[in-house]
Amino acid sequence: MLFLSSRRILIFSWQHFWRNIWLSLVTITIIVLTLFSLTTLILVNAIADYAVNSVKDTVDVSLYFDNAVSEEAIKTLKQELDKIEELKEVRYVSPEEALAQFKETHKDDKDIQSALAELDKNPLGGTLILSAHAIEQYPLIIEKLKDLKADQLAEKIDYNDHQKLIERINNFTAKLRTFVLALSLVFILVAILTVFNTIRMGIYIHRTEIGIMRLVGASNWFIRLPFVIEGLLYAVFGCLVFWLFLALALHFTGDWINGFLAGINFDIRAYLNQNILNILGFEFIVVAIINMISAAFAMGKHLKV
Amino acid sequence: MIELRNVSKIYPNGTEAVKSVTLHIKPGEFVSLVGRSGTGKTTLVKMLVAEEKPTEGRIILGGWDITRIRTTDIPMLRRQIGVVFQDFKLLPRKTVYENVAFALEVAGYSKKHIEDVVPQILALVGLESKAKEFPDELSGGQQQRVSIARALAHRPKILIADEPTGNLDSINTREIVDLLLKINSFKTTVMLVTHNREVVNSLRKRVIAMEEGHVAYDEEKGRYVL
Repeated sequence: MLFLSSRRILIFSWQHFWRNIWLSLVTITIIVLTLFSLTTLILVNAIADYAVNSVKDTVDVSLYFDNAVSEEAIKTLKQELDKIEELKEVRYVSPEEALAQFKETHKDDKDIQSALAELDKNPLGGTLILSAHAIEQYPLIIEKLKDLKADQLAEKIDYNDHQKLIERINNFTAKLRTFVLALSLVFILVAILTVFNTIRMGIYIHRTEIGIMRLVGASNWFIRLPFVIEGLLYAVFGCLVFWLFLALALHFTGDWINGFLAGINFDIRAYLNQNILNILGFEFIVVAIINMISAAFAMGKHLKV
Repeated sequence: MIELRNVSKIYPNGTEAVKSVTLHIKPGEFVSLVGRSGTGKTTLVKMLVAEEKPTEGRIILGGWDITRIRTTDIPMLRRQIGVVFQDFKLLPRKTVYENVAFALEVAGYSKKHIEDVVPQILALVGLESKAKEFPDELSGGQQQRVSIARALAHRPKILIADEPTGNLDSINTREIVDLLLKINSFKTTVMLVTHNREVVNSLRKRVIAMEEGHVAYDEEKGRYVL
């Protein structure tokens, strides 16, 4: 009997959905827009985090030594620096490696290349490149360098903190996140109201049938469940339509978007492929919950059982 | 079968629709509940099907005290009471067969059971040849018979007919009343709510008259006296 009732409930739900197809399509459209704003929010977060982390990875401290400083002295200093627990890595670049890197970096600059060709000996000294575990530890590391008198041995200490750049990125993305979040909340509210209204209209349209169901002793859940399932159907179809649009959009515009994000080397297709199940699952759950809550509100207000 | 003990219904706006009504209707009885409009008849019916709760008193149906019935038990109650209304309340896009079957579908009965029971009920009300027709293809009397058939789907112990002949001509009225008597002959308790004097007086059955919310008189083989 339970199986038969479940089957009939599903049939009634589908009938509600299909017989008011234009209303259903409007509801699905609102859900698609909601998913669009949610996905945009997720992507903005991902891109912002990626951008900030990319910049953080470039932060380091470089100690440049005069070519008069012996390699042994530099390596002795390196051994002391290796003991600093805040440092993740201390990398020694020999004068020869430094020159090779310099030539590679400026390989298209003819003036620099011709100047280097005229030199008898390597003008560059060794370099120690220090990388911290966390960007916040660099000021402490600088202090420890002073304690080890590294600033007296090195010709120059270069701290590429990019702190201002990181702050600018964070400020910009925070504003963008706030905007997209506000937009998402607006769409979620619109989705709630739309589903509420659709279910309310469904209750009104089927009021005769509902009245007769109550008259002949249909259980309350038999009367209510079709509307709950109808809400779920909107979630299912809304998600399917949106994901189809997303797949098509990525197919045709993925390269253009990646070109736009080339500066931070973020591949939107790769990100979505890696996280597709989490994102789709999260979105479906959000939309399903929104719809069922809206349906419950509509029934509580307009369905007297 | 139906017992009302000092039942009153006072609405929030202060209207006393039913005042201290005490009644006892025996199993298998045929009772006409009469009175002018606004005397509390429909309110009484609503309380019997738990559409309204009494303000005071107790209502007992077949030994079941439904005075403070739980919401989850109301569907079970309504399967034991068949109700027929003046406006038929049929689903226009379902056939005669489907309208009757609907009552069994919502209760979770199998297709086989429905296919066994519905033709029997349609035969009882004389509509077996009309099974595939839609309500708007039927006369008023036939539509009311479909409504009665649906009310009988769960084989209820009680059938309440609230002004079932209100929209019918005299010939159809007679047919419906005869059908109710036939159903009563099968030991179903029937409560006919009406203000049709001719029908009540022709029946020579028990008459309970309501006036201003209370029982004016209660007579076996009674008459409806305005």
